[in-house]
Amino acid sequence: MSARLTLTVNGRAYAIEADPVARLSHVLREDLGLRGTKSGCDAGDCGACTVLADGVPVCACLMPAAQAGGRAIQTVEGLSSNGTANRLQRAFLRHGAAQCGICTPGMLMAATALLDETPRPTRQAAEDAIGGVLCRCTGYTKIIDAICDAWRDADDGTETPAAGQSVGARLPRLDGLPKVLGTEIFGADSWPTDALLVRAVRSPHHSAGFRFGDIEAWRSGQPGIVAVFTADDIPGQNRFGVIPPFADQPALAAGHVRFRGEAVAIVAGEPAAMRALDLTTFPVDWQADDPLLDTPSARQPTAAAIHAGRDGNLLITGKVQTGDADAALAASAHVATLTAETGHVEHAYIEPEAGFARMNGDVLEIQACTQAPVMDQEDTALVLGLPKEKVRVLPVAAGGGFGSKLDVSLQPLIGLVALKTGRPARMVYTRPESMMSTTKRHPGRMTATIGADADGRITGMVFDGDFDTGAYASWGPTVATRVPVHASGPYRTPHYRAEARAVHTNGPIAGAFRGFGVPQAAILQESLYDLLAGKAGMDRLAFRRLNALTDGERSVCGQEMNGAGIAECLEALQADWDRAVAETEAFNRVHTGPKRGIGVASCWYGCGNTALPNPSTMRAGITTDGRLVLHQGATDIGQGANTVISQIFADALGVPLSLVDRIGSDTALTPDCGKTSASRQTVVSGKAALLAGQALREAVLRLGNMGPGATITLDGAQLLLRDGPALRQIDLSALPPDDRGYVLSAEETYDPPTEALDGNGQGKPYAVYGYGAQLAEVEVDLALGKVRVLRITAAHDLGRVINPQLAEGQIEGGIAQGLGMALMEEYLPGRTENLHDYLIPTSGDMPEIRSILIEKPDPEGPMGAKGLGEHVLIPTAPAILNAIADATGVRLTKVPALPHRVRAALREKEAGPS
Amino acid sequence: MKPFDYERAVSSNAAARAALASGAHFIAGGTNLLDLMKLEVLRPDKLIDISRLPLRQVERTGDGGLRIGAMVTNSDLAADPRVRRHYPVLSRALLAGASGQLRNKATTAGNLLQRTRCPYFQDTAMPCNKREPGSGCHALDGFNRNHAILGTSESCIATHPSDMAVAMMALDASVEIQSAAGKTRTVALDEFYALPGDTPHVETTLDSGDLVTAVLLPPPLAARQVYRKVRDRASYAFALVSVAAVISMNEGVLDHVAVSFGGLAPKPWRDRKVEALLSGKPPSGALFQEAADRLLAEARGYGGNDFKIALAHRTLRAVLRQATGLTQ
Repeated sequence: MSARLTLTVNGRAYAIEADPVARLSHVLREDLGLRGTKSGCDAGDCGACTVLADGVPVCACLMPAAQAGGRAIQTVEGLSSNGTANRLQRAFLRHGAAQCGICTPGMLMAATALLDETPRPTRQAAEDAIGGVLCRCTGYTKIIDAICDAWRDADDGTETPAAGQSVGARLPRLDGLPKVLGTEIFGADSWPTDALLVRAVRSPHHSAGFRFGDIEAWRSGQPGIVAVFTADDIPGQNRFGVIPPFADQPALAAGHVRFRGEAVAIVAGEPAAMRALDLTTFPVDWQADDPLLDTPSARQPTAAAIHAGRDGNLLITGKVQTGDADAALAASAHVATLTAETGHVEHAYIEPEAGFARMNGDVLEIQACTQAPVMDQEDTALVLGLPKEKVRVLPVAAGGGFGSKLDVSLQPLIGLVALKTGRPARMVYTRPESMMSTTKRHPGRMTATIGADADGRITGMVFDGDFDTGAYASWGPTVATRVPVHASGPYRTPHYRAEARAVHTNGPIAGAFRGFGVPQAAILQESLYDLLAGKAGMDRLAFRRLNALTDGERSVCGQEMNGAGIAECLEALQADWDRAVAETEAFNRVHTGPKRGIGVASCWYGCGNTALPNPSTMRAGITTDGRLVLHQGATDIGQGANTVISQIFADALGVPLSLVDRIGSDTALTPDCGKTSASRQTVVSGKAALLAGQALREAVLRLGNMGPGATITLDGAQLLLRDGPALRQIDLSALPPDDRGYVLSAEETYDPPTEALDGNGQGKPYAVYGYGAQLAEVEVDLALGKVRVLRITAAHDLGRVINPQLAEGQIEGGIAQGLGMALMEEYLPGRTENLHDYLIPTSGDMPEIRSILIEKPDPEGPMGAKGLGEHVLIPTAPAILNAIADATGVRLTKVPALPHRVRAALREKEAGPS
Repeated sequence: MKPFDYERAVSSNAAARAALASGAHFIAGGTNLLDLMKLEVLRPDKLIDISRLPLRQVERTGDGGLRIGAMVTNSDLAADPRVRRHYPVLSRALLAGASGQLRNKATTAGNLLQRTRCPYFQDTAMPCNKREPGSGCHALDGFNRNHAILGTSESCIATHPSDMAVAMMALDASVEIQSAAGKTRTVALDEFYALPGDTPHVETTLDSGDLVTAVLLPPPLAARQVYRKVRDRASYAFALVSVAAVISMNEGVLDHVAVSFGGLAPKPWRDRKVEALLSGKPPSGALFQEAADRLLAEARGYGGNDFKIALAHRTLRAVLRQATGLTQ
């Protein structure tokens, strides 16, 4: 039914016809076109849709339209005037409070209600005010900073650094304004008006055969339903995968499903009909099988094969070996062994997958959220039987990714509908659909033994792990390869043997998630380092400093390290460590119930693909009217690639950043910058931008016949070159443009120099590594098993800090995810498919964070820079677990350390010596 | 979502009468209902919007207690100066629940009547005796970490999710109900909820056409009030265990004792035997140990939730120590 309603939004009255129980969020977005209000869950769990109703924050997704009638509704669009950010929005920009931007409107509205009553709130009040809005990127710190600073009538923090001064400047992100205004376009925010809406029929079973009934009869009985497609309708190869040799995932399953949430059919129709459609009536019969839900059962000799040809359900084994680890351990003065277990972790970006597809002539255009536009283009073309150039991918802003938006999700499905029906096709995943059907972090079951000599020097290590890669390959091969390369940690380990297996189960597909298996392995290695330090009678930080890899030494892959900054990171923690040791001892002397503890852990992480080609290409040009254009194809998922890469390019060219006009990313307009993964964009695309900037500079100087020290200025169509007294003015409009309209241009490709790994994993897997170490201080309630992280001090070696504000944002956000992994996050298929039963940290869970940025230049990285995005998450969980052990005397080897697990471990200890 | 009719109730009487229709369902704040409708767990034919009924007052009653209108939001109730001053356990429990945005929308009556977070109840692909009577219960040997250890049956081990109701239980609250015939009656909160037994789909003693119009609190007592909630993250998470305590001391012994529990049972749980055991005795570790033993004597874990027995034991003792000022 529908009714006439009058809504007052941002002071304007709208008379509409709407279903009285339609969600206000839906009415605002779809009917009134106010798409600044975001939908992350439609269940009141994420708070992204927070609006003010009579000044009070509510979740618009839980407010029926009829209840909004007669109330003054305020949305993010009401905060700014004519595109000018208000004080709070400027504070968000100034402090870097928006990363991907999807939660930003909700944060702004929740904060507005607070600031209307309390213009200068305490941090605690700000934290409480945003307690119902989830953010997965920032770790909340900069959001709270911005709210508390919004009383100042200050600008957005934009400076205009002079030519050559961009790198290193604390600049707000270049793409920040639309994020705070609510005008940013995410996957669900734009669609052609005649688009069909697409929904998928998904398996409720982990493993099942299925048969369809009479689909055509069902379809024709549903007015407004235009088409139904199944595997039989797929024109190309119904098998995709991020690593082509392992491609094994059907876009629509044929006859049998391998995991809960796998799509078997898609239904397309007119939007209203599709929203009203009860998909439970779809004619499909399931015959559920007994699923294999963990690696021990999947590896049983009698276990069913999930994929033919993958014996023992083994996808791949990764291995690194050097020296004689067994002999070294046998000869060690101290040896420690542990087994650790981690669960599925959900990426929990606040934006569920969304986008649309349409035919533009004979080219299929897909506009959707992604981390890997060219891979989407290739996989979609393959599935739909199209040549690659007939698919164009236009990435929208991604509302978080963290690895899961590297794999295609809805792209081939909406592409199929557009191709077959000729009509645009739009799809927006529901929260449960997003959680059940997209990738997770690999659960790991790992055992390791590490030895040390009498002086505390590491002698050798053996690591063995099974990683649950789920139903399809996805990034399983990458995890199996990366783990053995990194499981030693950034420490000198002369004798080493590590093996990691990716094992298929009927669990969720495990793929890429910030760190590719390294965070799991680091939990085990860093726990063992604490045990060994104890056995050797050494301070735990001193033990790590003693063993830190230094330049000229070789990694476990035999690679000679250059620019290794781990020793500097650990050294930077020393003063805080000494303080924390003293404070913890003082606290524990007087308290019996709560106990405090501290822990430290390190990370290293190789940037880019492991011993595989990994190029990025950057193009830049100057038009006849003096516009300087950078074709920047690296997708910015909130981490800041748009800003950082532009900063590098501007300095390489020698112009102020404000002159750089960015295009992209768009597979038709930007060269391939590869995927946004493996902490590679600053290093690889950044280096390509550096080379492109330098090449363009050379072309400009050559044209003007000026020396290398000349300055470049653009004034309209006039290019001005100065070198001391020499001045040259060039009229660009008089020069002949090329096909792209450029009178001067450059395109450069950079592929990091790596060397293939041999059978023992020896070689040069990465050209550049980044390093870090974190100190965690925690308090544990011994009676109830509750853990609170009080403070984290994070020292990270970035080689060269391109933008300190963005770097801190990465650190704070990575720590939030690491804290979640350590203390609360555990995805259980079928049981935690929403953001209320799957818990991620809220503002109240976050500790105080202090970032220490270290610059030990890398000889290969652009201007010495190293990657950071994944590094920041790796040390957090092990540092917290080591701190819990320090506080309680019990070591948790299964995460998350939920209260019941902490208590169980304490109970075992209280039961007496074993 | 299944199509349905909608009407805005103009009076309590009209609302109660409209609710007699089969498939009719009240909607107030909608924070729980809309989610369950989206999941197809609830498929009402007709929604009766009672959110604008004049039930938004918190008033003093003749005996010095409070009458809380059914449509008072959780935020307004938590912020009410009389509640904060005389019934702080209620204010704290409210603020420990949900998020600010939800508390701004959620109502007093809706909070009492919210449905369980049992994942099997929410997953229409799974059997659930509460959702589909007689279909079975997968929580018994499935994922049951968050499930009940007291008051369960072989049909259902789901918990009641409210924080507010736990505090109201310890405050001896009662529920004012108007029937479709226009009669008003008052039921003690303890009697308001039903245990699952063989009929877990019956959660309260409400009849068809009954409308909750208010919650009544008795006059305040001079007593210590404590609310303690153990959960997996700092905010916006359901209780593993929560305890509300209203305890007064008189000449060194516990006098008035009311203790209720969330996260442990299909309804806010209160055990008079435990209170009787405590009352009239001086606080001591041994006494609290005995009380916790008594509370949990018949507790039963189902695997994943076994830890709740020990956790409830410890949480109760911690709360009793806090309420009585016992330092060891």
